[in-house]
Amino acid sequence: MSVSRHARRRVGTAAAFLLPFALLFAVVYLAPIGYTVYESLFKLHRDGLGLSAPTKVFAGLGNYADALHDKDFRGSLLRVLVIGVVQVPVMLGVALLLALLLDAKTTLFKRFFRLAFFLPYALPGVVGALMWSYLVAPGLSPITAAAHGLGLHLDLTSDAMLAPTIGNMLTWAWTGYNMLIIYSALQAIPPELAEAARMDGCSAWRIAWHVKIPIVRPALVLTTVFSIIGTAQLYNEPAVLQHVAPNLSSSYTPIFAAYNAVDDNNFGYAATESVVLAVLAFVLSFGFLKLVQRRGEVL
Amino acid sequence: MRSRQIRTVAMTAAVAFVAVLTGCSSGSTGAAQSPAAAAGPVKLDFWGWAPGYDQSVALWNKAHPDIQVTFDKTPSGSKGGYTKMLTAAQAGNAPCLGMVGYETMPSFAAAGALMDVTSYMAPAQSQFAAWTWNQVTIGGKTFGAPVDTAPMALIYRKDLFAKYGITKPPVTWDEYAADAAKVHAADPSVALGDFGNDSYNYAGLAWQAAAPWFGTGGGSWQVSVNSAANRKVANFWQGLLDRKLLKTDPSYDPSLYADMASGKILSDVNAVWDTPIVASSVKGTSGKWAVAPMPVWDANNPVYGNDGGSATVVLKGCAHPKEAAEFATWMSTDPASVSNLIKVTGIYPAATSALANPALSQPDPFYGGQVVFDVFKAETPHIDTSWIWGPTMTQTATDLGDGLGTSAKGSTRLTDVLNTVQSKTVAQMKQQGMSVS
Repeated sequence: MSVSRHARRRVGTAAAFLLPFALLFAVVYLAPIGYTVYESLFKLHRDGLGLSAPTKVFAGLGNYADALHDKDFRGSLLRVLVIGVVQVPVMLGVALLLALLLDAKTTLFKRFFRLAFFLPYALPGVVGALMWSYLVAPGLSPITAAAHGLGLHLDLTSDAMLAPTIGNMLTWAWTGYNMLIIYSALQAIPPELAEAARMDGCSAWRIAWHVKIPIVRPALVLTTVFSIIGTAQLYNEPAVLQHVAPNLSSSYTPIFAAYNAVDDNNFGYAATESVVLAVLAFVLSFGFLKLVQRRGEVL
Repeated sequence: MRSRQIRTVAMTAAVAFVAVLTGCSSGSTGAAQSPAAAAGPVKLDFWGWAPGYDQSVALWNKAHPDIQVTFDKTPSGSKGGYTKMLTAAQAGNAPCLGMVGYETMPSFAAAGALMDVTSYMAPAQSQFAAWTWNQVTIGGKTFGAPVDTAPMALIYRKDLFAKYGITKPPVTWDEYAADAAKVHAADPSVALGDFGNDSYNYAGLAWQAAAPWFGTGGGSWQVSVNSAANRKVANFWQGLLDRKLLKTDPSYDPSLYADMASGKILSDVNAVWDTPIVASSVKGTSGKWAVAPMPVWDANNPVYGNDGGSATVVLKGCAHPKEAAEFATWMSTDPASVSNLIKVTGIYPAATSALANPALSQPDPFYGGQVVFDVFKAETPHIDTSWIWGPTMTQTATDLGDGLGTSAKGSTRLTDVLNTVQSKTVAQMKQQGMSVS
């Protein structure tokens, strides 16, 4: 009897600790998701000119069909996909390289470089984006001016250069952060491993390739998943860049498109676009996880 | 990576949704919830962004202890102010009063965000210019009081016009093009004007050319953004862009004012409310500017454009519509309020009695002591007042703004932009359940 009372009290204690979390989780996480999905199933119904208050009618998957036919929305998804496919590997490659350099025994000024690589992440994202937008703005850009001095006509905000410019902003801001995660994983490698390899006559590069990189693979997988989710939510950089590049379309990324729908008072459609984006981010990040897991590696 | 960004976005979204769910959001306490029978003064919230509105509100509050208005400054309409009002109306906690441009009135009506105050407003009708009354009356229901209209003019550098051999400001668009070529020939780094990316400024140019975008008939909308008349306007500007005769700084951007301050851009075709904006943006060149009528298509039959004009509207759910309508009428007609709005906000009043306001005949030192309102006053009878706005203007303006931006870069042609805007506008109207013919 005393045991069951003890157990009951333990359950009670656990519940008391869990309740605030569960409540917050339900209110700020589950409820908004549920509400978004619910909203996405409704359309506004109007008569003729539609100049009086509309009624909300159940539309089933009507909004989803519209979203899939929406050329702008599809374009924004594709654009972000292309930016991600190019930018994420470049960024993670650089992050890995920097982490390996920092980890190398012979590297000088380790602490300085560690801080220097990480510094861009310490800046608020919008500040970084503002800085870059001034660095690429036509008429202000020192880069364009320098290129002009060399006889090159460079416009970093031309239609074709927008995606590379945004990719550069992202790489600049996030490489240090990813580098730190990979570097931490490197730090956890027992020194004996590298020691043994070195005694077997392994060069520093071969140690990196055959010993270190396979061991930090989980960290690479983790940073890739974060990067996929982050790229899907691309907003800050293009939003700031738009001020100096009015040719950057206002449906440039899926989040832009959803905001536009809110501006148009088309809440159901905005909810639909949000759900599509969330599902896509989920599929891509978990698809990536499944892919690397199938190849015999566990996160 | 980007965990912080993810968190911020998630948090913002969550907070916003919780606010929607629980029906509470910042700045919404006020008239909507307070019972009409409560003791003490009636309290009204008023959302807007124009400078000077707060001073008119202060004048009202001093004279009306029973009805106290609180002015909350929001981001400007196109920068999020409208979204904020619409979202609040959707959530049932909008303020009683809102500042809404004529161009957005149909969109607000289509969202069901406006309150019918016809019975309270009707007595005031005779005090306003007829066409401005039509802008606040949709489908026979009046939703508020007009505040201002926005005739357009040519704001230009007198001294630099003289320097480049332009003896008098261009009267017609042909003269404008010729002057632009003259300036370009003298110094290719200087331009007569700027081709910005502000959709409503462009709308004013179409308005002037009798090139309407919207019409109604038989209970459905007609969209004519790419009509022949609109293509004429587009081809004119495309011609100037092709010859690289204009700068292409984004509208109202620091780069534009930097170019204006350094004499790289000599003029701007803009609305009356832009005159104080230019004055405060290029202070260092005070006294060198002047205002002339905007160039016209036909000198024998001058017609001018309008870029803006706004109303004080009563929003859905207001518990004190009578008092709200009373305030809205007062703000647009009271001499002290009007002269404050003319001086600080730079409005051109919609109330006919206000046209005699002494503030309209004050010389402006920034414009070399010119009485700039005289120009606008002379133009007003020659503005086409039949123009109507569509119910999805936010989207139309966004698409056009995108197109103007790419045209400025030279990657699209304006006539193609008009086609895109046309088809997207029709699609958007259909998506929102309206009938389009």
